[in-house]
Amino acid sequence: MVITRIFDAPRELVWKAWTDPKYVTQWWGPKGFTAPVCKMDFRVGGKFLWCMKAPDGEVVGWNGGEYFEIVEHEKIVYSMYFADAEGNKVDPAQYGIELEDTDDGRNVVTFEDFGHGQTKLTLIGNESMENAKDSGQLEGWNEILEKVAAVVVGLAKSE
Amino acid sequence: MIERLSHGPATVHGLTEPFALSQQMISKHIACLVRARIVIKAKRGRESVCTLRPEAIKTVSDWAFNYRRFWEESLDKLDVVLKEMKKEGARK
Repeated sequence: MVITRIFDAPRELVWKAWTDPKYVTQWWGPKGFTAPVCKMDFRVGGKFLWCMKAPDGEVVGWNGGEYFEIVEHEKIVYSMYFADAEGNKVDPAQYGIELEDTDDGRNVVTFEDFGHGQTKLTLIGNESMENAKDSGQLEGWNEILEKVAAVVVGLAKSE
Repeated sequence: MIERLSHGPATVHGLTEPFALSQQMISKHIACLVRARIVIKAKRGRESVCTLRPEAIKTVSDWAFNYRRFWEESLDKLDVVLKEMKKEGARK
C-alpha cells in the first residue's frame, strides 16, 4: 500500500509535525478521533506508543512500534503493532481481530522537497497488514473500526 | 462475528455454529469483544446471550473502512496542523 500526499509546507515543518509528539497527538487517527497519549522515543531502536480515543471518549486501542531507520528530514522506517497501555505488543486477537502476528512488518515514510515550499510525503505501508487485508483477515479490524467510525459519523452529524 | 450480531442477539452456541472454530476459541473472541465494550454478554437461564452494544450498531452501511482511509484522514488532519504551525512560525 502506497499513499502519497503533497503538503503546502516545507519539509522541515512536515518532519517536525511527524516526529514531535506535541503535534502527532493532534493529527493521528481518523476524523473525530484524538490521540491523547503519544509517547515517542524518536531514535533508531527507540519505541513509540500512542492511543486512539473515539469522540465519545472511549479509548479504542493502543498502537506501538519501533524505529529502525531515521534519515533526518528524509525518511523513517518503523514497525507498528497493536499494543496495550504499557506498550507491550499484543496478540491482535485481543482486539477481536483474527490476524497472524504481523511480525514487525516495515513501514516507510519519506519526505521529499516538491518545490514552491511544498513537500511530498510517501507512506509505504506495512506489507503484512496488506497481506492480511488481501486474505480477508483484516475484516475483523475493519468491522470494529467501521462500527466505531460510524459512531463518529453519527456524532459529527449531531454537532 | 460482529456482522452476525448486527443482525440480532445470539447465544454463544449460536455463534459457534457458523464458524469453524472450537467453543473455546469462540468464547475467547467473545471475551475480547466484551472487554472492548462492543458486545454485552448476559446470562439467560443456562445460556449466555451476546448482544452488540447500541453504540456499536449505529451503522452507515456504505462506509468501508480500510487502512488507507485511516491514513488519508490522519493526513487530512496533519494538513490542518501544518497550517497552524506555519501561522505560529509567521508570528515570531
